[in-house]
Amino acid sequence: MRIKIDHRACTGCKQCEIVCSLAHTGSVNPWRSRIRVYVGEEFCLPVIAGPYTEAACNSKGTVIVDGIEVDECVVCRASCPVKSIYKEPDTGIPLKCDFCGDPPNPQCVAWCGPNALTLVEDT
Amino acid sequence: MFGWKGKILRIDLTTHLIRTEAMPALLMKEYIGGRGMCARILFDEIDPRIDALSPDNRLIFATGPLTGSGAPAASRYIVSAKSPLSNCVSSPCCGGYLGSNLKYSGYDLVIFEGRSPEPVYASICDDHVELRPAVHLWGKSSSETEAAIRGEMKSGDGLDKWALNAMGIANIGPAGENLVRFACIMSDGGRAAGRSGLGAVMGSKNLKAIVSLGKGQVNVADIDGLRKAIMDFYEQARDNGELRKRRRYGTWSLPGRANASKSQASFNFKEGYSEAFVKYEDPEVIRDLIRVRDEACFSCPFACGKRSRIKDPEYPLTAKGPEHETMALLGTNCGLGDLEEICRANYICNELGMDTITAGAMISCAMELFEEGHLPEKDIGYPLPFGDKNMLRLLHEIGTRQGIGDLLAQGGVAFASRYGHPELFMGIKGMGMPAWHPQAFDALGLQYATSNTGASHTKSTMPFYEGRKDPARFVEFTKKDQDYISAADSGVLCWIIYHGPLWKEKLSEWMTYVTGTPHTEEGLDLAGERIWNLERLFNLRSGLTVKDDSLPQRITSEPRVKNRVVQLDRLLDEYYALRGWESSGVPTRGKLQELGLEKEGEYVL
Repeated sequence: MRIKIDHRACTGCKQCEIVCSLAHTGSVNPWRSRIRVYVGEEFCLPVIAGPYTEAACNSKGTVIVDGIEVDECVVCRASCPVKSIYKEPDTGIPLKCDFCGDPPNPQCVAWCGPNALTLVEDT
Repeated sequence: MFGWKGKILRIDLTTHLIRTEAMPALLMKEYIGGRGMCARILFDEIDPRIDALSPDNRLIFATGPLTGSGAPAASRYIVSAKSPLSNCVSSPCCGGYLGSNLKYSGYDLVIFEGRSPEPVYASICDDHVELRPAVHLWGKSSSETEAAIRGEMKSGDGLDKWALNAMGIANIGPAGENLVRFACIMSDGGRAAGRSGLGAVMGSKNLKAIVSLGKGQVNVADIDGLRKAIMDFYEQARDNGELRKRRRYGTWSLPGRANASKSQASFNFKEGYSEAFVKYEDPEVIRDLIRVRDEACFSCPFACGKRSRIKDPEYPLTAKGPEHETMALLGTNCGLGDLEEICRANYICNELGMDTITAGAMISCAMELFEEGHLPEKDIGYPLPFGDKNMLRLLHEIGTRQGIGDLLAQGGVAFASRYGHPELFMGIKGMGMPAWHPQAFDALGLQYATSNTGASHTKSTMPFYEGRKDPARFVEFTKKDQDYISAADSGVLCWIIYHGPLWKEKLSEWMTYVTGTPHTEEGLDLAGERIWNLERLFNLRSGLTVKDDSLPQRITSEPRVKNRVVQLDRLLDEYYALRGWESSGVPTRGKLQELGLEKEGEYVL
């Protein structure tokens, strides 16, 4: 199973960050969330936390999304030493999406009002 | 503590002294937060008779117990101060990402007092609170200011892209700096705490901007209860036609509806309809023409905000809106029939930081004065009939106080009186009337006339909503909804989503789950009534009388729309009686006792 992201549908409301934090930590704090939304002028990009990587990569590249240049670092899912997100704010312990258990029941998908996130079978 | 953070941040701009205080527990119970707390603090701390632009005025940024708690559409913040436009207490609210960041930083309220010797901006990031020099930002437009501050936070504070993206910024443009009396506070790429001129208060304090990034948390008392309640709410909302429309069109579904039913402010309220606007009556047309994306406030699943763009290199950025009120006041009310021109006017107001509603009322007033021959062309420098594109130039001149713009910047009453016809300014308590023509609905006239901040559309509920249509109960509904909205503004829940009767029970439900103390609808209605009456007492002390609860002469004596006039006197008598006020508009001792405001009432009784 994986979470499919339709960035054109995302409105930047960040309810996914809230429910992720609620479900995993019992408090509301987007910085404790395993999904973060990058709000742009033309569109928003929800990015889900992947595995931790110890070394910062040297990549300074950009990717093109819908004809617009986006910093590669923004769409990268890794929790890493140079990024401020996907870390417990107090302790720095890295965070990673766990699909809210087994079988997967991701709360971000359940709470996504505009249906930018959907749970799909691997193909 | 659940819901609230229990902390007030107080920043003295004169001495640059920054300290924190505990939120008084009793006030949290009686005034909830947000607008209620602001009314209480303004009443306690300032003499309502002061000049609103003096250092004695307070400028309060307030959140409520629900802000950032995850309750749907609970991210707005309230800005409050004595208004330089209406001389009343005022509390516009604004969405975006600033409210939640202030809360996550650990503060329910941020109070600014005094006046900084030099322009500064306030940076509020958790425990790190600083006033930073803003001399180099002075004169910059709203979007330039946001970009410059993000740049500084990147190089100076070493914030990465994600942190820069998550923070919230409120700022003033040149209009606020120039003390234009209807300047607003802009926020997060085109949102606005718009009415009542608080941008000028911010400018008078030499405060250019507030930026906040909070990494703390809000504690929720009953997490499982809240999560289940929100899922249930989603289910209910999915089937609701009004909310479906909100999601797809935002407020764009309204101008067409108003125009088609001859209820839209047009040609300085001489008409209820504009022929030129007919082509935009289908909101799908507007959406096709200018929409870039749907834009939500933090924690709101409905995303009624729409970013727009026009194909014109002189207006390169995307803008928020224009919303219904802007389309009506800067559009049909000024006789402007072209959507692109309306977008340009909206863009100019956003960048300068000006309330589009009062600005529109000012310009339509100037246009009528010009057409009637009271305002000579030599005073303006160019012709200004209804529908003329020169109004874009005039908007610039108001924001920068050049030429005749300097006179218009002083507000509608001063301007229209200068040319001998104060009755041609379509405003109440100095504030321009919003989009729906009050002659279309009697109740609307009553709401505009009795609102504590001036002609505001956000302090009660529209009389055409389901459950609000019975003409025999207009007055009763007006009072009820004013009280309810006062409580919701203190929560702080979004007025647009939780309008009137539709989701009224949600306020007490969310409050109970989040704060852990039981809240009932009756209890919150009482708190709302207390807030409304306290605001009224503030206004009475500042010199407001029953004569100010009025409508422009055109609305009460010239049948312009639907061949009707608003019979305000009859409605007012009934309204005062229902409120427990004397016919002089002063709350009775009995009513004040009931609300626990006897002591406060001593100033006016």
